[in-house]
Amino acid sequence: MRSTDTSSVLENWNPSVKGEQKKKSFKRLMLLNLPHLKKILAAALCVLLVNGAALAKPYILKIVIDDFLTSHIPQKGIYSLTGMGILYFVLVAFSGGFGIAQVNLINKAGQEILRNLRSQVFRTIQLLPLKYLDKTSSGSLITKATNDVEALSQLYTDVFMSFFKDIFLIIGIVSAMLILDVRLTLVSFCVVPAMFAFIFLLRTKIKQNFRKMKYLVGRINGFMAENLSGMKLIQIFHGEAERKKDFKKLNDGYYKVTSFQVWMNSFLKPAANVFRNITVAILIWYGMDKIAGGTLQIGILYAFATYIQQFFEPISDLADNYTNIQSAFVSADRIFELLDQKENLEDLEEGIGMERVDGNIEFKHVWFTYNDQDWILKDVSFIVRKGQTAAFVGQTGAGKTTIISLISGFYKIQKGEILINGVNINDIKKRDLRRNIAVVLQEVFLFSETIGKNISLNDEIDPGTIKEAVTASYAKEFVESFPGKINEPVMERGNTLSAGQRQLISFARAIAHNPSVIVLDEATANIDSQTEILIQKAIANMAKDRTALIIAHRLSTIRGADKIVVLDHGRIVECGNHAELMENGRYYKNMVLEGITA
Amino acid sequence: MNKNILIIFIKKYKFSYIVGLVFMFLSSYVQTLFPKILGNTVDILKIKGFKPERIYVNIGWILLIAAGTFAFTYIWRNLVIGNARKLECYLREKLFDHFQILSPEFYNQRKTGDLIAYAINDINAVRQTLGPALSMAINGIVVCAISVYSMTRAVNWQLTLMALLPVPVMVYIMIHIGKAVKKRFKRVQETFASISDRVNENINGMRVIKSYVQEEKEVERFEKLNDQMVDSNLSMIRVSAFLPPLIELCFTVSFVINLIWGGNMVLKGSISLGDFIAFNGYLTMILAPVLSIGQVTTIFQRGMASFGRLNQIMSVKPCIEDTGTIMQPPRGQIKINKLTFTYPGTGKAALKNIGLTIPKGHILGIIGKTGSGKSTLVNLLLKMYPIGNGLIYFGDKDINEFKLEALRSGIGVVPQDNFMFHASVADNIRFFKEIYKPEEVIKAAQDSCIYESIMEFPKGFEAVLGERGVNISGGQKQRISIARALVREPEILVLDDALSAVDTVTESKILNNLRRVRKNKTTVIVASRISAVMQADEIIVLDKGEIRERGTHAQLIDKGGIYNEIYRYQFGTGKLESVG
Repeated sequence: MRSTDTSSVLENWNPSVKGEQKKKSFKRLMLLNLPHLKKILAAALCVLLVNGAALAKPYILKIVIDDFLTSHIPQKGIYSLTGMGILYFVLVAFSGGFGIAQVNLINKAGQEILRNLRSQVFRTIQLLPLKYLDKTSSGSLITKATNDVEALSQLYTDVFMSFFKDIFLIIGIVSAMLILDVRLTLVSFCVVPAMFAFIFLLRTKIKQNFRKMKYLVGRINGFMAENLSGMKLIQIFHGEAERKKDFKKLNDGYYKVTSFQVWMNSFLKPAANVFRNITVAILIWYGMDKIAGGTLQIGILYAFATYIQQFFEPISDLADNYTNIQSAFVSADRIFELLDQKENLEDLEEGIGMERVDGNIEFKHVWFTYNDQDWILKDVSFIVRKGQTAAFVGQTGAGKTTIISLISGFYKIQKGEILINGVNINDIKKRDLRRNIAVVLQEVFLFSETIGKNISLNDEIDPGTIKEAVTASYAKEFVESFPGKINEPVMERGNTLSAGQRQLISFARAIAHNPSVIVLDEATANIDSQTEILIQKAIANMAKDRTALIIAHRLSTIRGADKIVVLDHGRIVECGNHAELMENGRYYKNMVLEGITA
Repeated sequence: MNKNILIIFIKKYKFSYIVGLVFMFLSSYVQTLFPKILGNTVDILKIKGFKPERIYVNIGWILLIAAGTFAFTYIWRNLVIGNARKLECYLREKLFDHFQILSPEFYNQRKTGDLIAYAINDINAVRQTLGPALSMAINGIVVCAISVYSMTRAVNWQLTLMALLPVPVMVYIMIHIGKAVKKRFKRVQETFASISDRVNENINGMRVIKSYVQEEKEVERFEKLNDQMVDSNLSMIRVSAFLPPLIELCFTVSFVINLIWGGNMVLKGSISLGDFIAFNGYLTMILAPVLSIGQVTTIFQRGMASFGRLNQIMSVKPCIEDTGTIMQPPRGQIKINKLTFTYPGTGKAALKNIGLTIPKGHILGIIGKTGSGKSTLVNLLLKMYPIGNGLIYFGDKDINEFKLEALRSGIGVVPQDNFMFHASVADNIRFFKEIYKPEEVIKAAQDSCIYESIMEFPKGFEAVLGERGVNISGGQKQRISIARALVREPEILVLDDALSAVDTVTESKILNNLRRVRKNKTTVIVASRISAVMQADEIIVLDKGEIRERGTHAQLIDKGGIYNEIYRYQFGTGKLESVG
């Protein structure tokens, strides 16, 4: 026996689902079929007809051999060699027609079900609260909406129907054999169980091994991607030998798994031939006396050989489908887990409508934690009045970014109150709240659309407004330098634009949506000083006539703020403007001094 | 690496290939004996009072054929197909080796995704050509040849010809419908790719979408793609559903021709029932290879194209030659001598006439805008691009006299793009090298002010980056990068804008640590922030590839040039002196 000891490279390989869960998922998957019952029943009928034709074919041959070629019964009309030939042809033609109808019907139903599922998954993702998204890797969400749904696609269009077809075919073959000759059937069945066990087990194993192979290819793929992106670093640090060692481990692990596949296939591939030969040998051995005695016809023997051969396909299919269904269950489970988030989804419409927020923001003794354990904000209170600019400073992890997320209503606070226009933030309609607050994050996200589309997003904003926004954000100069100007496509998520340019586009996006509150996480990334000046000017433009909350990293920004909120480990340690804090404060002053003279 | 990589492999395994091919022929041949034996048995059975011994002999033959088919197939599959799998892994390993010696120049021009495609898709295509496709082709040709020959022997050439008449039609249908299906399938794949892209972008941009309340419109856009997906799938199925029934119909024509014509011949007594059954058996045997013609040619074509692509990539030469002989890492002062450098393929010099001496133990600060040539200078110190003789010296040795390995092990660099591997924090710091002790790794982490953050990870130094719960910020990445360079305790340390994402307080802590641990060793700090370089022994200001100013912080402030301007800009209006 060959070993498949590849445990080290297969450490994260675990595709199974628990039994109880399986049953539940299966029930839910079946329920999705209900609205398309008519189509499915029609398809099932077609399957039965196709099966019938498949069974009739060997029988026609039997008639030809026994009645005409052996017993020389006189032919008349359809009961003749030519008649049987035509009948055979017509049978195949009809069964072909029904086959086509079946495939079309079942796919129409299947695709409808999938459209629905895909749509539900996407809708759910849109309304997931950030709390959930923080915990989930974006990769796994993407997989749910794409690959997992595709895995189910196979289930609906191929697996269910061929399962049905195969089972009925097997029943049909056995019945036909029993009708023809009971004893011969029993004799041929000394091979069938062995054949069934052999093929089913082998195919199931092969399929499982194949999924292992796919998993390892994925690992190799990921490993390569990482190393190619980091190749310069590897060369600088001279880590080639170490990386090669890890690669070889993966690659050799993959080789072992594939050799095992080749080995198993070398049993399976000749199996059809071998089993047929053995059955035929047994049938002849058993039948020779009967034929000599005239109690058995050669044609029946021949039909039996054909029937036994027909067993092959459904058994192979069943084994394949068995593993397919199992892997589909894993996908179904992941999808249902997502869809079950229904109660947690955000409701954008719930709450008090607020056409225009004028921008008074107050935090009253706010306590907040992401995980119900570590308080990120501890008793934070401050007021930013309409039109003011507030700068938040503090070390990484002090809670600056959290404050921003809270103002957009992305998380619920545990203690205290956040008031916008004097109204508790939890009572405000989220749609209105977010419409009024434009958030500009440090890492600018650009869509693969034109620059204009990236500014307006999906909203209808007239070109004039966009133009003004581009001007106000000082993005005009570089946007105009593109051949397509505002309609220039953004390539590869903006990788072709510099960090500064991306920032300016995101400013234009904020300005174009005319919010009353601007929330800005100032970029720390290294931006050339020319663009830097533009960014400063653009920030001034954005903050004009608006309430602005800025997580600031540049002293020049901080100095211009009406209010500086200094945070340390989730608490406000100091608050005031630059002059005040330099006069009375300690923490802020230290920060400024250390940063400059230390 | 050369063109003959395939030939080398085949030569290496020529014995197993030869044995494999012999058994492949044998297994095909043995299989074609079956219909004949079956026909012969039927004929014997038809004779009144046949001798049982003759039947027993035939049963023995049938079982022997079964055993032979099994044994021969087992042998050739494990040899030939097994070799193809071996080849796959062999090629991938060679390709990986090759990737590791190619220069940054190469990677600047190629997308990672395309390069991976070579290692997965192209190698796979070659494997399929030399494995399954080749054996299907050989097996198919042997089976068809013997079957056709046996058919003419069993009956006659006229019926054989008639029965094979539908085969060309079958091939035509297969190719014709196959093309249409392929075309429509491509549309399905494209739509699926669009859906993936759409979802990918949507999820990655979720914060923007939520902030600007774009959820519903995103759903609307998605639904359009969703509809397209359904349409493209159904349109493919409408065509592909025809393929199997049509093929079967063609085959049925052959079968029915034999049934009627051959049957009548049996009635007339010109052939025996056994011949008729054998003929039928051969006809069925031909079907499988004919059906695989389309598949085999596609695999061959793809394999050839992929092999060409692989050869092309394998023949790319690294642009840096490793001809140096000095095995010790560089020590002593660094001297740069009238260095002018132009990137290959660009006309403009990235560095012009740089002259510079960095005494051992000094800290050199380099400041300048993006594109001023800072990173180029760092790249050249590491010889990431070919460089002429007499331009850069370490001690009194020219850079080209050092072996690359020695050169790079002597210089610790913290590059601008702080790349992290999907591996534990410890492995990221020691760069997978087991030679560093845990204490050394911890000390490097402490000196780069990342120790506390690491200890907050669920598994500390063993936490795997990028896994759940271990999300690190840009600043933390930079600090891990710094630790990675520090743990090597290099003679020369270069920070290439490695503090840009670190806040000013941490920055000053790290700089203090550096001064402490790097006594008597050379350090180069490249930055765009003044605060990072102001303490250096010498600062040079780069602009458009030239050194515009040089001196200490105080000297440069007094000078009132570019440096002073940047300083005033970065620290507000310059009134800060009164504060500090």
